[in-house]
Amino acid sequence: MSNSRKIALISLLSLTNLAMVLPAAADPARDAILATLAEEAKKADPAFGGFSAERGQAFFAAKHTGGKPDTPSCTSCHSQDPTAAGETRAGKRIEPMAVSKNPSRFNKVEEVNKWFGRNCNSVLGRECTAVEKGDFITYLSAK
Amino acid sequence: MTGQNYAVAGDEGSQPPQMVRVWDGPTRLFHWLLVVSVAVAMLTGFLAPEWWMGTHLFAGYAIVLLLAFRLIWGVFGSEYARLINLARSTRYLGAYVRGLALLRPPHYVGHNPVGALMIFAFFGVFLGLVATGLMVQAGEEKQGPLAGIVGYAVGHAGKEVHEFLAFAALAMIAIHIAGVLVESWLQNVNLTRGMIDGRMPLPRGFRVPTPRAARPLAAGAVMLLITSLSSATLYGLSRMPPLGIPIMPENATYRSECGACHWSFHPSLLPKTSWEQLLAELDEHFGEDASLPADKKDEIARYLSAYSAESWDTEAANRFRLVSASDPMQITKTSYWVAKHRQIDTKIFQSAAVKSSSNCTACHKDADTGRFDDQKIEMPKVSRP
Ligand code: HEC
Ligand code: HEC
Ligand code: HEC
Repeated sequence: MSNSRKIALISLLSLTNLAMVLPAAADPARDAILATLAEEAKKADPAFGGFSAERGQAFFAAKHTGGKPDTPSCTSCHSQDPTAAGETRAGKRIEPMAVSKNPSRFNKVEEVNKWFGRNCNSVLGRECTAVEKGDFITYLSAK
Repeated sequence: MTGQNYAVAGDEGSQPPQMVRVWDGPTRLFHWLLVVSVAVAMLTGFLAPEWWMGTHLFAGYAIVLLLAFRLIWGVFGSEYARLINLARSTRYLGAYVRGLALLRPPHYVGHNPVGALMIFAFFGVFLGLVATGLMVQAGEEKQGPLAGIVGYAVGHAGKEVHEFLAFAALAMIAIHIAGVLVESWLQNVNLTRGMIDGRMPLPRGFRVPTPRAARPLAAGAVMLLITSLSSATLYGLSRMPPLGIPIMPENATYRSECGACHWSFHPSLLPKTSWEQLLAELDEHFGEDASLPADKKDEIARYLSAYSAESWDTEAANRFRLVSASDPMQITKTSYWVAKHRQIDTKIFQSAAVKSSSNCTACHKDADTGRFDDQKIEMPKVSRP
């Protein structure tokens, strides 16, 4: 085996390794959104120690109060199982929220901000905190 | 003498009367084809749901062609098909009615005077129906050859006349059938069979007329000439763009932003003031926050104002302009919408294929054009568990 072939083989192997190690659908845009949220969270609370998928899951599934009566939970529209499609109150399909099923989730800042703005107000009657948003995205990115 | 076509009643002998050929083939064929076309038009017009409109229109066009043929055949056809023969027959109206009052009406070969009058009345009513039908089709539905000339208001007025004439036609058909039955009974002849085999008994003492023969070649030539002239005219007219349907560009921002939670409603379905109010209250949008950044909201506001109901002359735009006083932002609360959808089972609206009454595209396949044609209504199949 020639040297150059060896190099090609090794780099190919390491590339496949890398792909296996990284989370299913790494996306620099999503990472940037999470980084901004982490910065915000740190600013609000210097003791902030990182986002948690477990907290995100609990937030996603919880029944909240304070929002509009027809939409007590994120799962009122997004399906209980985030890998399945949900449905708006007017009956239109919502693609799955889980990044594994829908790799283009949470990778456009404008969309993410717009929908957090709307849906948090509809469900909680207030803005979501940076921690809630970061946990939410972290949970669904791992799903 | 031609055209002498009645005899005084009361001189029937004992032997069976001589049968003569009265109705020529084309006249009989016309009669029964007209019966079928009118029956189809009546059934689809009075009874069938709106998506049968295509069949109704087809019957209407068949009636025009049949009437055109009959008028031409009324000039070139054989003796008793001729309009002049019919017209002449009406001269004996007085004598006929007097006889009828005594239950001894005179015998006729061909149409009796009342029958002849009825034929002319039928011509008038059917032509009126066809003309007003084309007006409704053009004005309200934006279809057909007159769509480029007739606006909604005229079409809508035409609809009133169309409906009146349809009831008049129904009454006339009833009278016509009753007349045939009474006359058949009084004179002991089967008039209906006459319209099938073309033969009628020749009353005794009636001079056998020397009927004029048909001139089918001339009739065919005129028919060809008239149909090609009118097809050319209609084709030319139908090339005109329909009145009151502006060319609306696609707006991607509207489509995606207002289409995220439901179908992006056609801008023609609400008046400008309703759209303005709706956009001003997006944070409280039917129980949800649907707020938008200012730049997108402005772009959508411009688009919706430019193409709101006021800019369209479709039936939907004309009707939905009259919004409900209590819910001015809801198409589904307008009295027109409620009236048109009252008979639909709520189960259908809740079915998986529809989900919500605001999901217009589930049943109206042309909703994205704002036209809401009758022929484009397709009810989804509701599967019952
Ligand atoms: C009233 C229905 C509804 C509720 C309740 C709801 N959402 Fe959504 N959400 C939507 C719709 C519709 C979209 C946009 C459709 C899409 O992205 O597929 C969306 C999109 C989003 C997005 C953007 C996703 C992306 O790809 O950028 C986020 C983030 C989001 N929702 C978060 C939440 C959170 C957090 C909650 C609970 C607090 C919630 N939603 C509750 C309807 C809802
Ligand atoms: C966050 C989701 C969401 C977004 C975004 C949204 N809507 Fe709605 N809209 C709804 C819901 C939910 C209803 C109630 C529909 C129902 O009951 O089926 C509604 C109803 C309507 C109705 C009333 C329909 C009727 O006649 O009953 C109109 C009109 C309407 N929306 C226009 C708009 C416009 C214009 C936009 C864009 C500026 C928009 N919507 C964006 C959720 C949304
Ligand atoms: C479940 C199916 C269904 C849905 C959803 C629906 N429609 Fe209809 N619509 C019908 C049917 C069926 C008719 C015909 C009713 C009749 O026979 O008069 C009709 C009639 C109409 C007509 C009159 C058409 C004409 O020329 O006479 C208009 C306009 C219309 N609908 C608009 C709407 C709009 C706007 C929406 C959405 C807000 C909507 N429809 C939602 C089924 C539906």
